[in-house]
Amino acid sequence: MSGYDFSNLRIMICDDSRQIRSLVNTFLHGFGVKDVLEVKDAEQALAEMAQFDPDLIITDWNMAQTSGLEFVKRVRTSDESHDPFLPIIMLTGYTEINRVEMARDSGISAFLAKPVSANSLYKRLMAVVDDERSFIRSNEFFGPDRRSGRRQSFGGDDRRERN
Amino acid sequence: MTAASATERFPEMADYNMIPAPRRLQGKVPKSGGPTPEQAIRQALDLAEDLMDEYQGWAVDDLDKLWRAFRDCGDIGVTKDDVNRMYRISHGIRGHGGSFGFPLISSAGDSLCKFLDGRNTLGKGELEVVSLHILVMKAIFRQDLKGPCGTLADDLPELLLALRNKIDLAG
Repeated sequence: MSGYDFSNLRIMICDDSRQIRSLVNTFLHGFGVKDVLEVKDAEQALAEMAQFDPDLIITDWNMAQTSGLEFVKRVRTSDESHDPFLPIIMLTGYTEINRVEMARDSGISAFLAKPVSANSLYKRLMAVVDDERSFIRSNEFFGPDRRSGRRQSFGGDDRRERN
Repeated sequence: MTAASATERFPEMADYNMIPAPRRLQGKVPKSGGPTPEQAIRQALDLAEDLMDEYQGWAVDDLDKLWRAFRDCGDIGVTKDDVNRMYRISHGIRGHGGSFGFPLISSAGDSLCKFLDGRNTLGKGELEVVSLHILVMKAIFRQDLKGPCGTLADDLPELLLALRNKIDLAG
């Protein structure tokens, strides 16, 4: 019996915490991903995009200068975007429902709540690979169809329900 | 109560285009040939062991930053910037703690974020709540309370919630 073969994936990790970047990178290598680029902010991510040509981005939300939300919107809608359809996982400590909805409305593919675990990250990767949603283009939004897979796109503990 | 329709929840959906996604990942990730999920996760955890061990060293720096930010609040009144500074550090701590094997640190960090979120200033009682959260985090490290920690994982958020509520209801 075997599982998903992630060895051909190229993944960019964008987070201003060096420790979180290292941890996510290490988890990804454990899953078999060989090509990972760490960047410390959205500006560096955008600058490296064409050169690295990622298949997937994992980004933090709360970063100095350009926030993760703004970064996602630029990838989705900016004229200079390398690939508006790029799958994006938002990894963040924000878990309040309004924040999750804001992330979804920015055009992310999946939401992964910190603290991050190997288990939750692996599940998110599988979900993004299996994601069959179409993209929606309207005057105010471009991104994966938000009307389906809503609960499936949330990963991690649901702290709202406990407290 | 009736469920809102899709166009009520997403008004822009009244005028939109649906575009099939390229689904490039499916071409790059065969669903077999890799390690089983259990093997992959085990490998990931094994590789991350050293990072987990290093966490406590630099987490103390985060906690020191939080303590300094708290101390800097001083006696002349707490500004919105002071609150935001403590919120940002707490937000980092809640993300780091559980990621590196200390879920109780994330619980305490999460509680402090919830307490600070949306506040413009802090009075004496509110500062005491902040101080107690920091002391709780220090105690967790001092006692090396890693991993699930049994009932404490449920008790701690409840206790901190009660503490927050006590101050908020009194105010």
